[in-house]
Amino acid sequence: MNPTLKLALVLIIALEISFTQVWTVNVALLVVCFILMIAYRVKLKRLLWLTLVPLFFATALVWSLSLQGSASSHFLIVIFTRMFVYVYMGGVFTQTTEPLMLTRSLEQNAKLPSKFAYGFLAAFNLLPKIRTEVATIRAAALMRGQVLHVWSPQLYFKVILVAMNWSDQLASAMASHGFVEGAPRTHAVTVPLPKWNWWVCGMSLVAVQLGLFWGLP
Amino acid sequence: MATVTIDSLTFTYPKRTHPVLDNLAVTFPAGKFSLLTGVSGGGKSTLLNLIAGLTPLPTPGAIRFDGHPLAEIPAAKHANTVAMMFQEPSTQFTMDTVENELRFALENQRMTATDIPAAIDDALNFVGIAQLKHRILMQLSGGEQQKVALAIIVAMNSDVILLDEPFASIDPPTRLTLLQKLMTLCTQQHKTVILADHDLSGYAPWVDHLAVLDSGHLALLSAEETQERFAAFTPDRLRLTRVTAPQATETACLQGTQLGLFSGDRELIHPQDLAFFAGQTTLITGPNGSGKSTLFRALVRLGHYQGTLTYQGRDIQKIARKSYARQVGLMFQSSMAQFLNVTLDEELTLSQKNGNHAYFTPERVTQLLDQLGLTQHRDQVIYSLSSGQQKKAQLLCMLIMAPQVLLLDEPLKGLDLASIQTTMQILTSVQQDLGLTLILISHQLSGLDGLVTHHLRLMDHHLLYEGATE
Repeated sequence: MNPTLKLALVLIIALEISFTQVWTVNVALLVVCFILMIAYRVKLKRLLWLTLVPLFFATALVWSLSLQGSASSHFLIVIFTRMFVYVYMGGVFTQTTEPLMLTRSLEQNAKLPSKFAYGFLAAFNLLPKIRTEVATIRAAALMRGQVLHVWSPQLYFKVILVAMNWSDQLASAMASHGFVEGAPRTHAVTVPLPKWNWWVCGMSLVAVQLGLFWGLP
Repeated sequence: MATVTIDSLTFTYPKRTHPVLDNLAVTFPAGKFSLLTGVSGGGKSTLLNLIAGLTPLPTPGAIRFDGHPLAEIPAAKHANTVAMMFQEPSTQFTMDTVENELRFALENQRMTATDIPAAIDDALNFVGIAQLKHRILMQLSGGEQQKVALAIIVAMNSDVILLDEPFASIDPPTRLTLLQKLMTLCTQQHKTVILADHDLSGYAPWVDHLAVLDSGHLALLSAEETQERFAAFTPDRLRLTRVTAPQATETACLQGTQLGLFSGDRELIHPQDLAFFAGQTTLITGPNGSGKSTLFRALVRLGHYQGTLTYQGRDIQKIARKSYARQVGLMFQSSMAQFLNVTLDEELTLSQKNGNHAYFTPERVTQLLDQLGLTQHRDQVIYSLSSGQQKKAQLLCMLIMAPQVLLLDEPLKGLDLASIQTTMQILTSVQQDLGLTLILISHQLSGLDGLVTHHLRLMDHHLLYEGATE
């Protein structure tokens, strides 16, 4: 499915369930998301993470709310499932979408200025580098007789400095490869937006609306 | 084809009193190869950045391409006119894979989508790296990344090609291939190439007049003077005369047993036994991407390895991180990675506080700073120093720490000949006085002769001392 449309669909549904309290719809969404993730062969380990982490936080939240005593059990179930829906929908989106395709789609289908689209992509590509950089900075500090803990401001000062340097380098790199802000570009790969995508998107929204009306007290 | 004309160009960095470039006037002829050299911090990078349009010009007409200032050329045509290859190989890409980066560059040039695949293949074939097409850029070695950068410039078909010390971290064979490709671009496609470099080896057959940038002025040397400069870099002078095979009497300080190194799935070093000897200076050489820096990262516990590594008989994984880091130090290839503070003075103070302050007295540090030409930069923000000055500052900071074993990853990168000689004198005397073990990786061999005692070659996934047998 077209990445931009998929992103829009996920956001709209998430917004809707934030303002409605129908736990049956939440459960239905969970089942659909789960089936989708299985169908797209998301790794079991990742699936487990996506389940255990929200389970911990949702349980903690529900437990603390129930201790207060004023929340109804219906509300608790809604809160509990809602949290899962957010994580699962996010999971479906991130696990089935390549960042580069999303960038291209945002640029081509959503007409987002290419500056933002590629800025986002470049930032994404930098993420793994940051982890190595933190390890390097801490080692470099040790060699100079200074221990930098996770909470040391100096560590963050240095990371920010490095990131700022990267952003300068990135701007130069993009400029030197002919990128000009706001200038028209051609597209080596076009991201398709076939009719059936719109149908799937429309039908899903209709189904969620029906479910919500049905379930509202 | 494009002639680059520079006319009364003066450039001063903000908040600085001295101009880096002072009333500079020069013409780089179309279709010719021009070689630019000069002391570290002499303004070579500044000049190239100005020509490339990456730094805004103080006066718009000061640099012209065939008579037109870059500002008059439509933005979409900039990359057609001038392109730049950077010193740091890994920092010039936006996308993840080689193919995507090439697509990105060609899309920016508004090439028709159907022409793009052929243009990509042509450019990769010209440089001879068709096999890298689908590889991830960050997993390529520095030499491979520079080849990709060149392929992109070829694909963009830029008239003027600027290169800022492109070979600083590249092994000699790769350097020669890239130089030959550049020459082909010059002679057959009439591109104007302007290259800045400190290491002048290998240019003699191609360059008649060397351009020297010194204290803001540019001078074109005569043919004789040019050959004289090149002579300092001929293979004769690059021989290492003091190198011997390790003797049985030498004690090993760092020892690897069945040590194996990998980069992702790629084997870098096939499991083997390896020893580094105390009090010696060991030079490691080998092709780009063969695993030299990865070995250093493993030695300071920043990378994974197979087998065991011991320091003075103890497994390095079992020594407390803090105390190990004080005994085995690494001078990183990128100077940025070493610094923790803002100004040069703060860096030195930190090193003096935690390092060998008995030997490195304030007087000695002042004297060393003077020798390295850094005295007037003491209060400057360290990141605003030139790359050569940063390298010297970095070396000084690590020397003051005086770890028993000091690993140096390309310590001469970006240094001019005079700085190399000073650096080598300092290294030699400090090593003798303190009995340090030095292990260094360097592509650049000029000036190393007085220092190096063992030479370890990395070839075909195997490390072997020169003069030693299996």
